[in-house]
Amino acid sequence: MKALKSDKQRGLNIVIIGCGKVGTSLVEKLSRENHDITVIDKDPEKIRSIIDSYDVIGIAGNGASFSVQMEAEVPNADILISVTQSDELNLLCCIVAKRASNCETIARVRTPDYSNEAQYLKDQLGLAMIINPEKASAKEISRILHTPTALGVSSFARGHAEMIRVNIPSSSLLPGKKLSELEDVMSGDVLVCAVERGEELFIPDGSFTLLENDIINFICPSQKSLSYLKRFGFKTSQVRDVLIVGGGRTSYYLAEELISYGIQVRIVEIDKSRCDELSSLLPKAIIINGDGTNEDVLKEARIENVDAVVSLTGIDEENIMLTLHAQGISNAKLVTKIDRIMFPEAISRLNLGSIVRPKYLTTDAIVAFVRSRSASKNSSIETLVRLFDNRGEAIEFIADSDSPVVDIPLKDLSTKDHLLIACIGRNGRTLIPSGNECIKAGDLVIIVTTHTGLRELEDILI
Amino acid sequence: MNFPIIRYILGWVLIVEGLLMLIPLIVGFIYSESSGLWFLYVSLLSLVLGAIMSRKKPASRDFFLREGCVTTALSWIVMSVIGCLPFCLSGEIPSFADAMFEIISGFTTTGASVLSDVESLSHSMLFWRSFSHWIGGMGVLVFLLAVIQMAGGSGMNLMRAESPGPTVGKLRPKLRQTARILYLIYLSMTVMEIILLLAGGMSLFDSLTTSFGTAGTGGFGVKNDSMMSYSPYIQWVVAIFMALFGVNFSFYYLLLMHRWKQALKMEEVRGYFVIILAAIAIIIINIGPSSAPFGELLRHSAFQVSSIITTTGFATADFNLWPETSRFTLVLLMFIGSCAGSTGGGIKVSRVIMMVKTALRELQSYVFPKSIKLIKMDGKPVEREVLHGTYVFFIAYMLIYVVSVFIVSFDGFDSVSNLTAVAATFNNIGPGLELAGPTGNFGAFSDLSKYVMMFDMLAGRLELFPMLLLFYPKCWSGMVRYRKRVK
Repeated sequence: MKALKSDKQRGLNIVIIGCGKVGTSLVEKLSRENHDITVIDKDPEKIRSIIDSYDVIGIAGNGASFSVQMEAEVPNADILISVTQSDELNLLCCIVAKRASNCETIARVRTPDYSNEAQYLKDQLGLAMIINPEKASAKEISRILHTPTALGVSSFARGHAEMIRVNIPSSSLLPGKKLSELEDVMSGDVLVCAVERGEELFIPDGSFTLLENDIINFICPSQKSLSYLKRFGFKTSQVRDVLIVGGGRTSYYLAEELISYGIQVRIVEIDKSRCDELSSLLPKAIIINGDGTNEDVLKEARIENVDAVVSLTGIDEENIMLTLHAQGISNAKLVTKIDRIMFPEAISRLNLGSIVRPKYLTTDAIVAFVRSRSASKNSSIETLVRLFDNRGEAIEFIADSDSPVVDIPLKDLSTKDHLLIACIGRNGRTLIPSGNECIKAGDLVIIVTTHTGLRELEDILI
Repeated sequence: MNFPIIRYILGWVLIVEGLLMLIPLIVGFIYSESSGLWFLYVSLLSLVLGAIMSRKKPASRDFFLREGCVTTALSWIVMSVIGCLPFCLSGEIPSFADAMFEIISGFTTTGASVLSDVESLSHSMLFWRSFSHWIGGMGVLVFLLAVIQMAGGSGMNLMRAESPGPTVGKLRPKLRQTARILYLIYLSMTVMEIILLLAGGMSLFDSLTTSFGTAGTGGFGVKNDSMMSYSPYIQWVVAIFMALFGVNFSFYYLLLMHRWKQALKMEEVRGYFVIILAAIAIIIINIGPSSAPFGELLRHSAFQVSSIITTTGFATADFNLWPETSRFTLVLLMFIGSCAGSTGGGIKVSRVIMMVKTALRELQSYVFPKSIKLIKMDGKPVEREVLHGTYVFFIAYMLIYVVSVFIVSFDGFDSVSNLTAVAATFNNIGPGLELAGPTGNFGAFSDLSKYVMMFDMLAGRLELFPMLLLFYPKCWSGMVRYRKRVK
């Protein structure tokens, strides 16, 4: 309970249709950022449970119905987000809303049939954003497989910079050293910008000492990430063949991407007709019809000999068990998709390799969009990545020419504590800024901080 | 149960009450009454206690329905204990039980009084009595929600416990905005009434206290004869405003938002006005148009109907002397009560409508045993839980009513007095019939009966379950364990 806080920051009127996993996760994140949220779902039970936990208003009904949208005061809304189960319903909700008001609309569209035409749909239907959690997850997994030593890889500066999340093993030369002592290995365009230790997230400065089992996040130009990992003393290897368990939409997107890089893909899928579909869509992949939780099936798929195992079934528990099983019998890089189960502490105790949470990816993209819209003037957030279960954020802003931080040497800016200007993307180049560097108009500025909720670049100032 | 957070909220309630007590203090200064000073002392006591209790923020923010209910019930009890002190200490209502009865009757907007001579009280005390109606009408916790921010949805559990009605809906996405809008509507309607009463030549003090009594649907008058001696204009203004304060406040919100269609479609508000008009017609016919000029008859019956159905309890005529059918019509109105989401009490029109619809559905199921019919309100199906809650409410309501009447009957008064006295307090109305009629008072009842009726008033205002929960042992079962864990 907080004492009366001034409503300095403008809250937006946001309508969210569909209270599934992504919808709920959006409500959780956006309601904390002082927005006025109306949720619509067909199931009154879901509405009730959401109203009980968050300060939002709920309407039970079909979100695509005009009268329901009127009841939700869509004409006064700034943003409408449709994340129901069905792509068609999401698009219809957005079309109806677009006719009734001039709010910005965001739809979740995930079927491959439409996703290839996402740009066309977006333009023709006047959508502000189309999100595809499955495709986003596939992209993320493919980045991880590209840098298999990493626990996670996030992309910034339109793909020119990467933030690598990696666990420091004892064999590395990093533990016990202060960051300032590591200048010889740290020289050049690389920066350790966040360290996870135990339950805490640190934004380190030069005097910070790394310990064994810390998880560091460092940022560097994308093409150099492998060489830096090598320089830090990590073993790096290339993934040549991948076993994907589960043949859902994410698997399809992932396989498509991996095959285009020339990686061998095997997919285990239990449903025969889905196998037929996958086989016609992905002629180069090996499709295995069988139960991914059956040891013999996995053995037949030669799980011991692959470079990476990706658990992508629709059931979180199966994915976790699969990864634990694979961990025991092979040295493969492991990627686990977890969507529903939260228990962050319990999951961090299990060694599940890289964990991908599709709903976080989707939520973060939407939150980035909403924050840009709610800033006092034009602000644009390119990317938002949450660090260590919401304890911090890495945000990428586009610097505006009239922003108060532009053209001032960074050492003269009085920025907040626990905040790092980690990286600047300028004309396709990536630079790790020194104190003498200035932010120029049009720069992509990547901020790493434990202050969640930054809306515009000048929020980094005290 | 999370006790620190309950302590914290109670602390805030005390601070708010301490601040509100400064207003009767000012009244005391204006009329230069020495008894007004008691408000200063009690206010300081309340502020200091409140500051101590709310100083340390609770570590855990766990706040579930049971915390919401217990906090609400305890808040009202604590408020009443502090609120009755000025009456007690100043000696104007010397007995603690009487003072408690009076202030609970004030906060719960009942308006039942133990005093036989109201006019002998000082102005500051009279003001506090009426002001307590205004405070209790919309609720202190709703006021708190308007000013302090609760984490997540926890505020909803407070609102649910304090606001009357089978379902509690928000008007705006944020609870704080909802609470603010409710208070804004409440305040502006009160100011409107004050202005209209002043225009009718009423004194400022009388129009303030009368408006507070109307707005909270309370019914404490500052005259011994309630509203009988005022001009017809004033009586009409009060009658109309009473009826308006008995309407669901969402109705006004929809009007403000220009959502006319939706507003006019509200079944409960329609039902409410139909009942009012029908009751007026019945009473006029029953009393007989020949007995008095039609204008006067209409005014008296409209005033009494509006006063009773909204559970206010002002009177312009001694309806105790009316013919039996008219008297019973009023008793029926006592139980029906006003709309959900208003400041009034009773069972609530929406519950009555739902129960009638259920009975009709039952009839249909005898003719077509396999038929399925959803109960709808405002064109939308009512959730099973809400219906279930309504039936359970009614059963619990009847049980409490019967037990209360049984205990009160030990005082040896006649049944009509007992039945209507309990009905009048339980439904937060004020006057009943016979002994407790508009010209009588509750002073004659024993202290035990008074305490029973105090419980009834609080239970009626908070819609039973928050009060009942205080007496349910399992609700407190976590207490010992919680203490241990904290240590």
